[in-house]
Amino acid sequence: MHIKGRAWTFGRNINTDLIYPKMWFRPTYEPGEMASHLMVGIDEEFPKKLKCGDVIVGGQNFGCGSSREEAAAAMKEAGIGAVVAPSFGRIYTRNCINVGLPIVVSPGIDEHVTQGDEIEIDLAEGYIRNLRSGYEARLPPMAPESLRLIQDGGIANYTRRVLEERRKASGAALA
Amino acid sequence: MHALSKIIAKHANRQSVEVGEIVNVTPDYVMLNDRGAARAADLLRKMGGDKVFYPEQIVVVFDHHYPPIRQQDSVSQKRTREWIKEQGITKFHPGEGIGHVIFPEKGYAFPGALIFGTDSHTVTNSALGCLATGMGHSDIASYLALGYNWLRVPEVIRFDLHGEFKPSVCAKDIALRIAQLYGEDAAPYLGVEFAGPLVAKLPISERLVLCNMVIDFGAKTGYIQPDETTTRFVTARAPDREWTVYTTDSDEDYGRIVDLDVSEIEPLVAIPHDLSDVRSASRLSSVRIDEAVFGTCTGGRIEDFRIAAAIMKGRKLAPHTRMMINPGSREVYMQAMREGLIDTMMQAGAQVGITGCGPCSGCHQGMLAPAENAITNASRNFRGRFGSPEANIYVASSATVAASAIAGCIVSPTDLMTHQPTQ
Repeated sequence: MHIKGRAWTFGRNINTDLIYPKMWFRPTYEPGEMASHLMVGIDEEFPKKLKCGDVIVGGQNFGCGSSREEAAAAMKEAGIGAVVAPSFGRIYTRNCINVGLPIVVSPGIDEHVTQGDEIEIDLAEGYIRNLRSGYEARLPPMAPESLRLIQDGGIANYTRRVLEERRKASGAALA
Repeated sequence: MHALSKIIAKHANRQSVEVGEIVNVTPDYVMLNDRGAARAADLLRKMGGDKVFYPEQIVVVFDHHYPPIRQQDSVSQKRTREWIKEQGITKFHPGEGIGHVIFPEKGYAFPGALIFGTDSHTVTNSALGCLATGMGHSDIASYLALGYNWLRVPEVIRFDLHGEFKPSVCAKDIALRIAQLYGEDAAPYLGVEFAGPLVAKLPISERLVLCNMVIDFGAKTGYIQPDETTTRFVTARAPDREWTVYTTDSDEDYGRIVDLDVSEIEPLVAIPHDLSDVRSASRLSSVRIDEAVFGTCTGGRIEDFRIAAAIMKGRKLAPHTRMMINPGSREVYMQAMREGLIDTMMQAGAQVGITGCGPCSGCHQGMLAPAENAITNASRNFRGRFGSPEANIYVASSATVAASAIAGCIVSPTDLMTHQPTQ
């Protein structure tokens, strides 16, 4: 998986209340609705500044706190290419994998990227590059199960496939 | 193997598992709150699933947006009630309290169990010696469809707690001390076990506070080895329940063991907007308090009400201070009324809200205006959590919150006696 995009940088311990404030919680969402509230806990104008393919670069413990999936789903919906940080909140990590958003752990990355830098990431080859500064780092290996889910486009596609296999199997059993 | 690994192995139908391994597990119970049920049901449909695989494992609570104040939530809760019926889900607790308070109360949490929930504070249950963890809505929807989901076997860090508490110090202060020493990512992706002679003496209510807070150290779950206190509690709550107590084989099964003497800990406060930015309560008297927010899954149990009422008895809130109380469950509310605790707190000037998440859910009364300061016995001081992003939230123990509400500024409970109210 190859990703190239412009970086938006954020600090340490950015919690999911900031990424997606709960005043924008709804029981169901219209297409594009979640994306229009992305990061408004930090910058109300952020959704307007974003371009499809941009990359989020956070500090340590990015996405900590509440389990709200909107924090990951809004990024996916906004077309974010990848989210990169030295470490992430655990539930946020799962949520990114589940919505098919590449989530990339890269120790110290927040010290090597400034806002607007062009970032290149290759998940299969396992590297991240800052095309402005020339900084390059190897990525720690990702669990193959997680990578597969991201490549599949998320847990919904996986679940659909397993349900389909089960239906076929029970159909075959009946026949 | 650590006991948590053994719990995962059991629920993965395996003899053993290794730390770092990813396995598919089937939990004992899965908590869906109002938001979680609505979103997961919607996502389940989108995943092509029409049936919940194990309806008997599902427990639905309405705690975040109940009773609804927005029509969209009323509509969504009506749909959820219909969905529960269609799916044959019978464990349904609308408005009976916060999921993480009623799970132990109603016997859904027990030693050796595996519990998922659509909320990060699901970890609270792990105080009873189980693995309890929060997940997002797609994660839970996939489990609803398939009857399993994946877990990575976590490394475990153990905090050995010993020493004697200073007056007015409690489990919440220990949690804040850990945040102060080790940061908001003290335990990323890890299991956090609390052990040592102090934990053996702690009642279940205090153990629940410790494990409630591990999510804000980045952890997957807490853990406390079940003992007689656990057995007594669970037996009273679920007399017919059978359970297995798993034990950890050796100290080699820990990634790290940390020794913590609680004797030096004072009443502590996490200041805005970072839980690891922790100060001594007695040094924050310049912070004027506009609102005290009392309750939540961290501080909404009967023991919290007893502590607060003892401090507030015969006193009044500072004239410029309001106090919002949300009992953690209907049971807590009724018990607090029977004991006269609600009476005491109302006489002091507190406002009682419904049993649920309160202002901490962002959808109940008690929202803050810009530049206002709140002190709370909840777990999080995140910017904007109780209303305006320009407001300030201070996190402390139940005792410190009650004392500060009376003083009108942040005080240590032990300092309250000598404090002159600020006007």
